[in-house]
Amino acid sequence: MYRQKYLFLTPGLIALVAIILFPLLFTIRVSFSGWDVYNPGLSWKGGQNFSRLMADSRYWAALGRLSVMAVGTVLIQYVLGFALALLVWRDVIARRFFRVLFLVPMMTTPVIMSVIWRTIFHESLGPLNPIIRGLGLPGVPWLSDPVWAFVAVMLVEIWQWTPFMFLLLLAGLLSLPSEPYLAARIDGAGPVRTFFSVTFPGLAAISVGAIVIRLIEASKILDTVYVMTSGGPGESTETASYYIYIRGLRDFQIGYSAALSIIYLVIMIVALTIIAKLLVRFLVRPAP
Amino acid sequence: MTSRIRNSLLATTVLSLAALPVAAPSAWAETPDYAAMYPISADVPGVCSFEAIDARDYSGRTLNIITHAIPVIGEPTALHAAQFAELTGATVNVVHVPFGDLFQRIMIPFQTGQAAYDALFFPSLWLGDFNPYLAPVPEAYRETQGMQDLTATYRGVATWNNEMLLYTMDGDRHYMKYRADIFDNPDMQARFEQETGRALTPPATWEEYNEIAAVFSGWDWDGDGQPNFGTAEVTQRDDLMFSAFISRVAGYAKNPDVTGGFFFDLETMEPLVNTPGWVRGLEMFVAAQASMPPGGTNFGLGDEIFSFGGGQTLMSYSWDDAFIQAQQEDSPIRNSVMPTALPGSTEVWNRNTGEWETFAEPNRPGYVTWGWTSAVAGSSQNQDMAFDFLCFFANEANTESDMQVGRYGVNPYRESHFEAAFYEDELGWTPEVSQAYVETLRGIDENPNRVFDLRVPGVGEFMSSLAAGVARAQAGTATPQQALDDVADEWRAIVDRIGADTIRAAYANVVALEDAR
Amino acid sequence: MTHQPLDPEPRAPVSRTLKLALKYGFILFWSAFVVFPFLWALTTSFKDANGVTNGATWLPWLQYQPSTQGWASLFGGPGGTNIVRPYLNSIWVTLGASVVSITLGTLAAYGLSRFTFRFLFFRNADITFFFISQRIMPPIVLAIPFFLMLRALGLLDSLAGLILVYVALLMPIAVWVMVDFFNSIPRGLDEMAWMDGCDPITTFFRVILPNAVPGLVVAGMFCVIFGWNDFFFAFTLTFTQTQLLPVSIVALNSSVTPWWALSASALVSIAPLVLLAFVVERFLSKGGLAGAVR
Repeated sequence: MYRQKYLFLTPGLIALVAIILFPLLFTIRVSFSGWDVYNPGLSWKGGQNFSRLMADSRYWAALGRLSVMAVGTVLIQYVLGFALALLVWRDVIARRFFRVLFLVPMMTTPVIMSVIWRTIFHESLGPLNPIIRGLGLPGVPWLSDPVWAFVAVMLVEIWQWTPFMFLLLLAGLLSLPSEPYLAARIDGAGPVRTFFSVTFPGLAAISVGAIVIRLIEASKILDTVYVMTSGGPGESTETASYYIYIRGLRDFQIGYSAALSIIYLVIMIVALTIIAKLLVRFLVRPAP
Repeated sequence: MTSRIRNSLLATTVLSLAALPVAAPSAWAETPDYAAMYPISADVPGVCSFEAIDARDYSGRTLNIITHAIPVIGEPTALHAAQFAELTGATVNVVHVPFGDLFQRIMIPFQTGQAAYDALFFPSLWLGDFNPYLAPVPEAYRETQGMQDLTATYRGVATWNNEMLLYTMDGDRHYMKYRADIFDNPDMQARFEQETGRALTPPATWEEYNEIAAVFSGWDWDGDGQPNFGTAEVTQRDDLMFSAFISRVAGYAKNPDVTGGFFFDLETMEPLVNTPGWVRGLEMFVAAQASMPPGGTNFGLGDEIFSFGGGQTLMSYSWDDAFIQAQQEDSPIRNSVMPTALPGSTEVWNRNTGEWETFAEPNRPGYVTWGWTSAVAGSSQNQDMAFDFLCFFANEANTESDMQVGRYGVNPYRESHFEAAFYEDELGWTPEVSQAYVETLRGIDENPNRVFDLRVPGVGEFMSSLAAGVARAQAGTATPQQALDDVADEWRAIVDRIGADTIRAAYANVVALEDAR
Repeated sequence: MTHQPLDPEPRAPVSRTLKLALKYGFILFWSAFVVFPFLWALTTSFKDANGVTNGATWLPWLQYQPSTQGWASLFGGPGGTNIVRPYLNSIWVTLGASVVSITLGTLAAYGLSRFTFRFLFFRNADITFFFISQRIMPPIVLAIPFFLMLRALGLLDSLAGLILVYVALLMPIAVWVMVDFFNSIPRGLDEMAWMDGCDPITTFFRVILPNAVPGLVVAGMFCVIFGWNDFFFAFTLTFTQTQLLPVSIVALNSSVTPWWALSASALVSIAPLVLLAFVVERFLSKGGLAGAVR
C-alpha cells in the first residue's frame, strides 16, 4: 500500500528535475568556460573564473551589502507584518477593508513599481520631499546620498513585501486555538505575557518558514536597485544579485557570471541552512 | 543567386519608374495619393518610395523586428512597420525593448544561432560586438539617393572593415545646450560679472562651464518660484553616464596633433584612461556635482531631459533629446534655448611628449556618440524584405516627417538635413535657433578633431568598468586618479581575456575614423 | 495605613484611549504608506511632460492641465503600445503555470507530509528543501540554458515554453505552502480512511483534498503573484510573437521616461490581482485559512 507513495512525490519531483537539471548542469559547465561577448561557447578555462572571483573585492563587498539589506528588510518586514496582523486580527473597525488593503502592495510588479518609486523619490519633481519640507524638515537626498539611497531601496522592499509576512502571520493568528488564551487569562497574565507565552510560540513554525522564503527572495533583489540607483552612488547599493546581472547580461561575461552564481548558490544554501536551524532552535522551542 | 535576381528586379523598378512619366503619363493619375493616406507631405520617388514599396508583394511572409522602447526610435519603427505591412501584405511583428535590456535580447539569439529577428534597431556603439552576425547592405541599397546623401561621418560609422553593415537611419552626437534668455539678460550678465569679474558668455571650456554653473545654482533665476540650478548631466552609473564622461574628457585628452587612439594606444593596446587628460576631465566632472539640482548626481538620461527641457537648469550637454524637449510646441522655454559645441580646454595633454600643451583657442573636439542605427541579421531568411523595410523606413518622405516629431529621436544624418529653413518652417523654431542648431551639428560633422565610441568587442565591459570607476570618484570613495588607475587595470584584464589582437583589429576601425582628417 | 486600590480604575480609560489612538494611528499611517504610490501614480497618469516638469503636483486643473495621453497610449493611442493582447497572454501563462504547479506541487507535498522517503542520503526534509532551493539561483544565469533548452524543444517565443519554465519557478512555492498545510491536518484523518479500506490515492482525493482548499488558495495566490509579476523570463525567452504584460509595459520606458503612461499601466496591471486579494481575504475572514500555513 505504501508503494503508492511514489505516485504522489515523483510526478512533481521528476517534472522539476527535468526542467531544472539541464540549466543547472549547463551553468556549472559554463562557469568553467570563457564564454563572453566575443567567444561564445564552452571553452575550458579550468578554475580561472573562480580564482578571479576570489580576488574580486567588488563581489564580496556586494555580497556583504546584500546580507545587510536582505536580513535588515526581512526582519523589519517580519516585525511590521506581525504588528499589522495583530492590529487587524480582532476587533478593529473596517477590519476586512484593512486586510485587503494591506495585501495589495505584494500584488504589484516590482519592475513597474520601482519606476513609480523612482519618481516619488525624485528630489526635484517627486512628491516626497515637498511633504517632508511641509513638515518643517530639510529635504532628503534620497537617491544621491549613499546611506539614504540604501534606505530608499530598503523602504521600497519593505513596502512591497511586508504584506507577505502580514498574510502568513494573520492566517496563523486566525488558526490559533483559543484554549491557551483562556488558561493565560485564568493565570492572570497581562497582554505582554500572553503574547510571549501563547501567541508567539504558536506562530513560531510559520515564522521560520516565512523568514527563510523571504530571505531567498529578498536576496535576488534586482529590479529595484537597477531602476532606482543602478547600484550607486558609487557602489553603495550594489548587491550581489545586481553585480551578477551587470557582469552577466550587461557585460555579457557569461562564464564569469555563472561562476559568481554558483558561489552565490553555495553560500546561500549554507547560510540558509544555518539560519533555519538557528531560528528553529530559538523560536520554535523556547523555554516555556 | 537570389540577390542577383533581386538586384535586377530593383533595377527594373528604378528603370520603369524613370520611364513612367515619358511612356505612360496617364499612369500617374492612377497612383494613389500617399500623402493623403500617410503622415508625409509628399512621396519622394526612389527605390523605396511609398509607390515602389506598394508595388512589392510580400503577402504570406513574416518580418520580425526588434527595436527600442517607445517613443524614441520605437514609435517610428512601429509606425513604419504598420505602413509596410499595409503596402506589401507582409505580417510585421515588432518588439520594443528598453535600452538596458536590448543588448542581451539581441546577443543571446546571435550567439546561440537562433534566427529570432530579421531587422534590428540598436545603438551603433555595439557594431564591434555585432559585426559577425550582420548582413552587409547590398549594393542596390547603397546606391539609393538616401544613402548617397549620408554625410561622410555617418557613412563611416556604418562601415566596418570597408563593408557597410549598418543601415543608417539616425545621426547622433553630443553637444551643449544653454538658456539663451538668461545668458542674454543684462541683469544676469551684471550679476555674473560682479561675482566673477568676467563677462557672461556661453562657455568655451569646462572651467568656464563649471564656473557659470556654480554662479547660477541654488537660486530662482527664471522667476517661477522654484530654485534653479547650473547643470544637468547624465550621472547615473549604469545609465549612459560613460558617454557624458567622455564628453567631459575629450577636450583635455583628445589632442588634435596626436593620432593613434583616444581610449587605447593602438600600437601597444595600453589603456589611456588614467592619463592626465582623463584625470583632469574626471576632476571637473566631480567638481560640477555641486551645481547640479537635488538628485542630480543620480540623473539618468530621462532626468536630464526633464531637468533641462523643463527649465530647471541653465546648461546641459548630451544628445538632442533635452534640447528637443525644450523646443516642443507647448514648452514654456521654446526658442529660449541654444545649442553649441561641447566646451573644451586650453590645456591639452599630449601623450607623445608626456606634457600639457597650452592652446590659444580652446580645444573643442566633437564627440560622435551612439546614434541609433539599423541592420539586417545574417541569419535572417527574409533579408530581401528586411532591407526593403529599412530602406522604406529611411526613405526621404518618412525621414522628413519623422524629424518633425521630437519624441521619435530621428536626428540629422544626411547632407540635406542641415538646412536651417526646415527647422524654421516645419518646426517653428526662430531663425537664430535653427541656424545655431544646423551650425552646431554641421560643426561636429566637419570638426577635424573628433572622438568616436569605443566600438570593439566587449564595449559593454569596458564602459561598465569605466562607469563604475567614475562613480567611485563621484561618490568620493576614490580620488579621480585612483579610480581611473583601477579602471586601467580592469581594461588591461579585459584586453587579455578577449585578446589584444582582436581588440586592436576592431579598434583600428575607430581610430581610422578619428585620424581620417 | 491608607487604603491603596488594587486596580487604579480612574486611569484606565485614559490608557485605553491612548492605546486605541496608537492602534488606529498606526493602521492609518500604514494605510497611507500603502496607498501613497497608487495615488501618485493615479495623478501622474493624467499628466504630460509639462505637468511632470512643473514639480510635484496632485490636483488636476488646479495645479496642472490634465491629459489623457497616458491612458490612451495603453490602448493603441500615439506614443504607446497596445496592452490588450499581452494582457491575455499573461493571463494564460499565469493560469497555466499555476494550475500545473499547484497540481504537481500538492501531490508532492502530500507525499512528503505523509510518507517517509529516502533517496541515498536525501530524506523528506532535504527533498522539501530541494524544492524550495530552486528559487535561490539568480535567474540571470539561467537565461542562456533555458533559451537553449526551449530552442531544442521548439518552444521559444511560445506560451507553452513560458509555462514550462514558470512551472519550475512556481512549483517550489506550492510545495512549501502545501507541505506545511498538510502537516497541520491530523494524520488520524488519513488513518481512519485507510481502515475503511481506502487506498492512499482515494484517501487523498476524497478525504484530504476537500480539507485542503484554504491551503490551495494561499498557494494559488502566491503562484499567481509570482507568475504574473515575473519579468525576466518573459523577456528573455520570447521574441516578437509572445509578449507578456510586464514586457509590454516596460516597452514604454524609452530615454524620455513617459511617467504618465507607466503610471497608467501600473494601475491597470494590478487590477486583476487586487480582485484576488478580495478572494483571499474572504477565506481569511471565514476562518477557512485556519492551518493553511501551519
